[in-house]
Amino acid sequence: MYYIDLAVTGVSFGCMYAMMSVGLTLVYGLLRILHVAHAAVFALGAYVVVLVANATGSIALGFLAAVIVTPLFGIAIYRLLYEPLLRYRPDVPMIASVGLLVLMQDAFRIMFGEQGVTFRQNALSFTTFDFHGVTISAVQIALIVTAAVVFAGLHLFTTRTRTGLGWRATVSRPKIAASFGVDPVKVRYLNFAIGSALAAVAGGLVALLNNLVDPSIGFVVSYKALAIIVLGGLGSVRGTLVASLVLGLVEAYGTIFIGAWLDRDAIAFLALIVLLMIRPQGFTGARTA
Amino acid sequence: MSAVLELDDVAIRFGGVQAVGGVTRTVDAGDFVGLIGPNGAGKTTLIRIIAGLLRPDRGKVMLGGSDVTGESTSARVRAGLALTHQIVRPFREMTVLDNVILAAGIGYTSGPLRALLHVSRRREAERAMEILGSVGLTGTERRLAGELPLGQLKRLELARALAVDPKIVLLDEPLAGLNHAEASRQVETIMEVHRRGITVVLVEHNLEEVMRVCRRLIVLNNGVVIGDGDPWEVMANPAVQEAYVGSGMMAHAEA
Amino acid sequence: MSAYTISIVSIIGINVILAVSLNMISGFCGQISLGHGAFFGAGAYAAALAMVATASVPLALLAGVVAGSVLGILVGFASLRVRSDFLAVSTIGVNFLFVGFVRKQSWLGGEMGISGIPPTGFGASGNMIMILLLACATVVFSLYVSRSWMGFAFRAVGEDEQAAATLGIGAGAYKLAAFGIGTALAGLAGALYAFFTQFITVDAFDFILSVMLMAMVVIGGIGSTWGVVAAAVGLTLLPEAIRFVNDYRLLVFGGMLVLVIRLAPGGLAALVHNLFARTRKA
Repeated sequence: MYYIDLAVTGVSFGCMYAMMSVGLTLVYGLLRILHVAHAAVFALGAYVVVLVANATGSIALGFLAAVIVTPLFGIAIYRLLYEPLLRYRPDVPMIASVGLLVLMQDAFRIMFGEQGVTFRQNALSFTTFDFHGVTISAVQIALIVTAAVVFAGLHLFTTRTRTGLGWRATVSRPKIAASFGVDPVKVRYLNFAIGSALAAVAGGLVALLNNLVDPSIGFVVSYKALAIIVLGGLGSVRGTLVASLVLGLVEAYGTIFIGAWLDRDAIAFLALIVLLMIRPQGFTGARTA
Repeated sequence: MSAVLELDDVAIRFGGVQAVGGVTRTVDAGDFVGLIGPNGAGKTTLIRIIAGLLRPDRGKVMLGGSDVTGESTSARVRAGLALTHQIVRPFREMTVLDNVILAAGIGYTSGPLRALLHVSRRREAERAMEILGSVGLTGTERRLAGELPLGQLKRLELARALAVDPKIVLLDEPLAGLNHAEASRQVETIMEVHRRGITVVLVEHNLEEVMRVCRRLIVLNNGVVIGDGDPWEVMANPAVQEAYVGSGMMAHAEA
Repeated sequence: MSAYTISIVSIIGINVILAVSLNMISGFCGQISLGHGAFFGAGAYAAALAMVATASVPLALLAGVVAGSVLGILVGFASLRVRSDFLAVSTIGVNFLFVGFVRKQSWLGGEMGISGIPPTGFGASGNMIMILLLACATVVFSLYVSRSWMGFAFRAVGEDEQAAATLGIGAGAYKLAAFGIGTALAGLAGALYAFFTQFITVDAFDFILSVMLMAMVVIGGIGSTWGVVAAAVGLTLLPEAIRFVNDYRLLVFGGMLVLVIRLAPGGLAALVHNLFARTRKA
């Protein structure tokens, strides 16, 4: 039963990584920028959820506030930081992005304290279900269900709606899409908005899972997300999904087998570096041109 | 005459398409070869194989008698090959002069340790000034390469190719994008290069200029050689005419 | 000199070596490394073990340099295989792996680190003088490299590898050289740090340190040795001089990184250069 518990943990973490990483990989696909500050968006989402939930008593309102605030923040990052730097080599905006993450993380520490913030009322964190000996927490179920709904919705959006089609076309063939009248700037806004909202949801769910939001919440996750999008073949949503789930599972099981000599959080990078040595183009190799 | 460049049964496939299918050719010292063919004939692929930017599926590439098939581009350049890119690639953040000095310092930059032990650039700077003069770029030395217009950048490419002191230069469409006056000026410079004893292989769409300056024409079609020899005789060959009529380029040649 | 001054000057010297060596990799040769802390740490641990085992300063220095450069050349090989943006992620990974690995090794002291490193015997001021001499040597070496044909070839490789190849410059050998030299110096700084503190834990070599070092390079002006030296000195003193900065160190460094890149991507060096150009014209 222990192994099944681990699988559940792995899959639920994988779902969280996927929601976090998809925005990152799409930003890379569009702009060729490694959007490290995406982790700050993730952390911001978590803080908004917990603060609003504590103020209003409703976790749902917390999530609602987070998916309103973070897209605006994501768009602001694009407008104020990345857009003016697009003409430089991609390392330049990336380093600025690292700076923004460090700044935001310290700002959260200063405003809300080193110890972080806990939910005043959070029944969800402590609710568990028992299926024939396999224990699943309510938050784990929420992570998996949310990710399933989000990615199904995203799939429908990008295959059935005009806006979604334009978005997908712009990521894979920017020039052709532009010639069909898709406004690339609008697509970028949309991209940052959706990616940021997903990261915020992931951040809020992690906050529920730990019943805690502390300043470092986004930090480790952010670098794992970087590893994931490289593993997934930068710019590929499908590759990112696969890599996220694989990483979640590898971490869950890896903790038993190699946890004695390597930190759990370093496993992602071990996988990353081994893979890059074997396949410098990433997992799928299906990079969008 | 000694062979500068030899290709022995060079072939490469992309997916299911035979891009170059078994080319065996020898280019002798002092040759002035035009490599032509309709679009998609495999010219650029062949040039990339010679330059070491692509590895052939089979066959050998020899420079000055030694096999370089497994060697990198930089090693081939050190062995006497120079090339200009179809799309110019100067170091935009260096001055024009530095671009050429760097090429002239090929004896120092062959390995990091050698490079670390040498500082003086005086001799290379003098040579670079002289070469810039010979391609008509005097007066632009102190400008950043990124600021030059295309016509001058094409000449800078040529200057850098000369500065590595090559036995053979591969020129990939050195006239593309130039206006008539710039093109004929560039052709003069290329002829001057050849007069200095450097073997020239020229890939060019401008058939008029190719016919005028080349002493030997090699025609590729569908990845194989369909004509090789004196330019006018080759162009009279029915197979060559067929290939060109098929792609509608003969008209351009006669124009 | 007070003990406080001696320790500040020593830290400045170590940071100068670290920032200048990172500048050789990322500034001269254009290989963005966000894991310089790992090479610093490898040098510190190797030197600490060597000191504990032999109490010999030259051996410990050598151990630091070798450990830093061996790890650096390994990562250099990675840089041959991956594109530049992959490299940035890989070097972040190397930093996390280093920390995650060391934390779990009992022979390296695990979470507790290595304490009781024998003193060099030079005393605090002697250590400081050794650090300053080696920092000066590093700066002189960096200035020499940038004037030599190696620095010239580094710039070419950093700007366009393929174009460099057409001039006979093999990018691979130069990237390895940049990583080898830069990380050997980081290892040297690690050994000096072990002498200075006589007590190391892995937290001193984490990713935040790597970001700080990159901040020094970027704020000083990527590629400019003097700019980077000025930034390393300034950014080390700033938190000491201003209490606010000390409390909000990351906020200030992160903010400066963002502002400098956004407003003056050339860093201090470019600002000074432009200022001179303007006064000359005026």
